[in-house]
Amino acid sequence: MANVIKKPGDLGSWLMHIFLGANAVIMLYPILMMALSSFKTNKEIFTSPFSLPRSFSLDNFAVIWSQTNVPRYFINSTIVTGLSVLVLLVVGTMAAYALSRYKFKGNIMISLFFLSGLMLPLRLAIIPLFIQLKALGLVDNLLGLICIYTAMSLPATVFIMTGFLRSLPSELEDSARMDGASEFRIMVEIMVPLITPAMVIAGIYNAVPIWNDFFFPLIFIQSPEWKTLAQGLTAFFGEYSVNYGVLYAGLTLAALPIMLVFIVQSRRFIAGMTAGAIK
Amino acid sequence: MAQLTKSIKTPFDNAVVRRRQMRKLWLAFLLFPAMAILLTFVFLPMASAIWYSVYEWDGLVRGEFIGLGNFQEVLFDPRNNKFLINAFFNNVKVFIALMVFQNGLALILALFLAREPKGYRFYQIAFFLPVILSTVIIGFQWKLFLNPIFGLVNTLLRNVGLGDWAVPWLGLPETALGAMILVNAWHWVGFPTLVFLAAIHRIPKDLIEAARLDGASEWMIARDIIWPLMAPAVTIIVVLTFIGSFNWFEIPYIMGGLEGSPSYSTDMLGLLFYRTAFGSVSAGNSDFGTGSALAVLIFIFIFTFSTIATRYLTSREVELS
Amino acid sequence: MATIELRDVTKDFGGVQVIHGANLSVQDNEFVVFVGPSGCGKSTLLRLLSGLEELSSGEIYIDGERIDHLPPARRGLAMVFQSYALYPHMNVLQNMSYALKVAKKSKQEIEEKVHAAAEILQLTELLDRKPKALSGGQRQRVAIGRAIVRDPSVFLFDEPLSNLDAKLRVQMRLELTNLHKQLQSTMIYVTHDQVEAMTMADKIVVMRAGNIEQVGPPLELFNKPANKFVAGFIGSPAMNFFHGQVVGVNNATYEVKLENGAQFTFTAQNSNLAEGDEVDLGVRPEDLQPGTGGHGTMAGTATAVERLGAQTYVYLRSPIEESMIIHHAGDLDVQSGEQIDVSFDLKSCHLFGPDEQRIEFEG
Repeated sequence: MANVIKKPGDLGSWLMHIFLGANAVIMLYPILMMALSSFKTNKEIFTSPFSLPRSFSLDNFAVIWSQTNVPRYFINSTIVTGLSVLVLLVVGTMAAYALSRYKFKGNIMISLFFLSGLMLPLRLAIIPLFIQLKALGLVDNLLGLICIYTAMSLPATVFIMTGFLRSLPSELEDSARMDGASEFRIMVEIMVPLITPAMVIAGIYNAVPIWNDFFFPLIFIQSPEWKTLAQGLTAFFGEYSVNYGVLYAGLTLAALPIMLVFIVQSRRFIAGMTAGAIK
Repeated sequence: MAQLTKSIKTPFDNAVVRRRQMRKLWLAFLLFPAMAILLTFVFLPMASAIWYSVYEWDGLVRGEFIGLGNFQEVLFDPRNNKFLINAFFNNVKVFIALMVFQNGLALILALFLAREPKGYRFYQIAFFLPVILSTVIIGFQWKLFLNPIFGLVNTLLRNVGLGDWAVPWLGLPETALGAMILVNAWHWVGFPTLVFLAAIHRIPKDLIEAARLDGASEWMIARDIIWPLMAPAVTIIVVLTFIGSFNWFEIPYIMGGLEGSPSYSTDMLGLLFYRTAFGSVSAGNSDFGTGSALAVLIFIFIFTFSTIATRYLTSREVELS
Repeated sequence: MATIELRDVTKDFGGVQVIHGANLSVQDNEFVVFVGPSGCGKSTLLRLLSGLEELSSGEIYIDGERIDHLPPARRGLAMVFQSYALYPHMNVLQNMSYALKVAKKSKQEIEEKVHAAAEILQLTELLDRKPKALSGGQRQRVAIGRAIVRDPSVFLFDEPLSNLDAKLRVQMRLELTNLHKQLQSTMIYVTHDQVEAMTMADKIVVMRAGNIEQVGPPLELFNKPANKFVAGFIGSPAMNFFHGQVVGVNNATYEVKLENGAQFTFTAQNSNLAEGDEVDLGVRPEDLQPGTGGHGTMAGTATAVERLGAQTYVYLRSPIEESMIIHHAGDLDVQSGEQIDVSFDLKSCHLFGPDEQRIEFEG
């Protein structure tokens, strides 16, 4: 990245460092405290909240593993997020491919159709959605969530993928056509391999909100065995409301996987999650 | 002329026609799944919401057509509209506060980060870390931190001699909403920061160097060069913040509960909608009719204002660029 | 090994016709260059031939068989693109073997063909490299190699050298000419660069605005341009044109007065020029002589002079604001702003009638 602004070290730049540093502490300290508290007993949390835990005992985690549904929620969230993103990328890339690589009557109309989907807040249609899914037998069913998330995220996915696919030179396609490849083969063997970075970005853009969503499971899932992690945490909080150590451990456990992936892949995460807002 | 020759079918024309049909099938195959999913699970429910709002409902059963009756009930029935007005103004407060605190802070952070100080990557990651976490985690975490007796916040205040300040933040009507807004700002500030940062990085370096050679101060560069040229990013953030503020649900739900406690000081349109549609202590039984009417009203409001805001802000982009 | 024939080929895009009935025949083993300014339809014509675009009407034959209904790969053609269009995620070997893989050729056959082509193009060392790791010239060769392995009856080139720097372009021009000799196959080559056309072609097809203006060997086009457009397009610097009028007709003898005052007579047997007809006299810069004499003399002020030692270019402006260029072999001591006379010899001039078509005449 280009060094946009540079300035010799003076009072202003000291203030800047203090400001940035303080902000970083404010952002990170609560997360650190959450993680540290998860190793503490209830008593420790009350008596010495800011100190390091006396021992890094995994008792709280053991309670979660053996006595709660959290592992099950975890699996459910993985299934829902994984399948939604998979379907989304396949179906979204297919549509984006048609819209970006072919001239045909109705192209603009269909593009507008997908674009208008970006502006519809599906939450406000929760009532008809509920009735509809009930009729389809998809209430209290992970498949119902997968349908909703896929539909909800499709417009943005088509939008992002269309942008990337448009940037590929058409001579590649022509060249493959001269080589005798079918349209399907051109898509799968030539064009799609060239936009895998874009698919990663679109995948993250969608996976994070789906993994974190709480609203749709709140309405569509009732049985404990189908609850997702974010939603399940509310039940778990009701159950263990006085056992702070276990609560912190639950939060830490829920936050850990996505945080680890983020720290390893921060560039892609940032690019992915801001993909919709940066032209 | 070309059409005339085409009308006589030869084996050659047939081959071409067959190829065109194959192409159409191929395009249909590519487009159909996405369109079908979107129609079934987004467009159909959105349209149904309007359709449902003009009917009487008894649980899951649709009753008779009552025109704008549901809308009237939502807007003018004194039992309902006091909630509506209260919730609406709370959403307005949230929007304004987030614009000032969350996005204002983000702008400052972005301007600093644009200088690529030491620890640039670290700061980016640190500021963005909460953004990737679920609102549920953030909400519960801060609910624990803000516990009046055992919470870290009050313990910290007492430890530094500010014991008087150690109030039950989420229990007082005067402080609850403010606390939730700060939590939201903590959660999301990294997002506008990095969007602004990307916009600043997109400004040609020459422009800033030219301004510096012209003798402009850092403040003048920020005000006269960077701010006007990052207008598109500002537009997007304002509109996203607007939509987010009026759809605000998770944080108040988790930290204040469905009834916007204490005493409806943290009630939001989203909570009101949920209570109306699915029933609660205050709103009584689930009512899909008034719920749908409320949803339609919220949608119209958000749609209208975000369209106007986009128009206005975009015109500003054109003028300045 | 193939002949090509285009009959009344037209193409329109959204109701706008861009090729207006092209007719052309290409002999076996011929190197044909389509040349013309950008937007003249030369690339479109190539794409129609390749099958990447569908004809609006007309017919195309290769070796006497109609092929315009066939998809690109079944026409027995191979194409080299302007941007090379190498598949970025495949190495050179995979790039070159892709077409054969699609055609389900045996592994052994693929290997043989690719290695043979790599040998010809000196690519053997580079087979496991990705396109990104190749220089411009190497990429160009891979693109050609990818065409060769398919053993096509016709090679199509779409401005293949325009992305290379000037030095490499000269080298690749020679390599392509040699390759043509070596492969003994028909080649169609599109360019906007008339130097490429003149140096490489057996036959040049000059196009303008969707029409084929003239087809012929390079020197024929240079010496006998069929019309004013071809005359102005072929040759560098471009031909000078002087506008004039027929002022006298006597049997087959005509008298022309140019707007700049020069006057001359000529005989033309098959011309139907009449008194008052507008004509253009075309004189190549190298055929304009400094000084008076010849069949006519014109005056001009030098606006710029380029003295290169071995040759001199003088840019002139006549009193009636015509501009002209002299190309003089050897040095010519003229200063910018100086007024000089230039003269022409009708034997080396070209004459174009009111319809801009060439008029055969004798001075």
